[in-house]
Amino acid sequence: MATAMQQQPYRGGSGYVARSSSSGLYDVLELILDKGLVIDVFVRVSLIGIEILTIDARIVIASVDTYLRFAEAVNRLDLMATETQGLPELMEGITEGGASSKTKGVLQGAKEALFGDEDEGDEDEDQGTEDEGGEERGGGSTRRRTASATTTKRRRRSEASGSGSSRKRKS
Amino acid sequence: MAVAGKSAKPRYVYGVVRGGGAPPAVAGIAGADLELVAADDVAALTSVAPDAYLEAGREEIFAHSRVLEAALEGGTVLPMRFGVVLPDADTLRERLLDEHHEELAAQLAAMDGKVEFAVKGLYDEAAVLREIVAEDREVAQLREAIAGKPEAATYYERIGLGELIASAFAARAERDAAAIVEELRPRAVAVSVGEPLHERMAVNASFLVERKALDRFDAAVEAVGKREASRMRVRLTGPLPPHSFVELEVSA
Repeated sequence: MATAMQQQPYRGGSGYVARSSSSGLYDVLELILDKGLVIDVFVRVSLIGIEILTIDARIVIASVDTYLRFAEAVNRLDLMATETQGLPELMEGITEGGASSKTKGVLQGAKEALFGDEDEGDEDEDQGTEDEGGEERGGGSTRRRTASATTTKRRRRSEASGSGSSRKRKS
Repeated sequence: MAVAGKSAKPRYVYGVVRGGGAPPAVAGIAGADLELVAADDVAALTSVAPDAYLEAGREEIFAHSRVLEAALEGGTVLPMRFGVVLPDADTLRERLLDEHHEELAAQLAAMDGKVEFAVKGLYDEAAVLREIVAEDREVAQLREAIAGKPEAATYYERIGLGELIASAFAARAERDAAAIVEELRPRAVAVSVGEPLHERMAVNASFLVERKALDRFDAAVEAVGKREASRMRVRLTGPLPPHSFVELEVSA
């Protein structure tokens, strides 16, 4: 099964690009949760908690924490240094929102929800009623952002803040 | 939703494929067997969902992804978003396959021979900070003013400095993303540009690419990666089912 999946590896080139198939789930999480066909009447069961979490993660991005971290980073920066980052170093940082970042990206938030804490399950159970799910998705499925030519960059942000159902979950 | 019927087992839906084939030989969510529910020439790739509710955990999302990937190898597939469950096979046929038959058939045809690739660019923070200090006088001055002073005495200045830097990152991301997307666009059939997921993300875009043009697309991404190597790490994920390029008309 695993080998069948990797029938078409795109690992050409000379290594300036990190390539993976979707087996690196982290990179496709956003697509799986947020894109694709959806019938709005029907339910995306138990997902409510996760979606709210990802929306929150987007909002949290511009936080004081981030600012302080940037300030610290720029103050520590040795402007004279001409160090070039080697590949190993780059690869080390391959996990998004890696060690240097305290701020959560959407994927990180979702990842925590999905792959992290056990208590997330309880959260889902509380909210797993189908009607709520249907309403939640009603808005979601109208947000189409496929475009063959021009998709505006700002759309997702406004969708995120447009959702009234945000709940702070920062941990 | 009240459902009566003989086979009222809830159906999890992974995607839509052409009818007539066999489902891929991988396990679905909760280890369930995959089944095609067909209507005419289109079919939903499904498995029987757990009764009570669907767990939205790591395993389930993996399964969704695994099924779609296997389906993609066998041909064209229109991926559903994670988590779509219909009350039973009849409702599924009615509400998805019959109601949207024309759209689904048209999109299956449109997606033939095409796959999605996700391109993400992540800034090297130190490299871009150097750019910003070099190009932005305000940042450079504020940085010098703060340097050497105790943290407690410069709390608000540091927030101000950080805010300037954050917006400089955002401005760069917008510029770089636009340039990279324009550069890759000619090699793709369609583009879907997303918002950066965090402040160090420069570009987050999906491209619909003809399978037969994959080499050219890959080479173009490689060229971007090479050019930006000192300041950005480029990641290319795929081939994926065309998540970002399918849609259904929303019916009330």
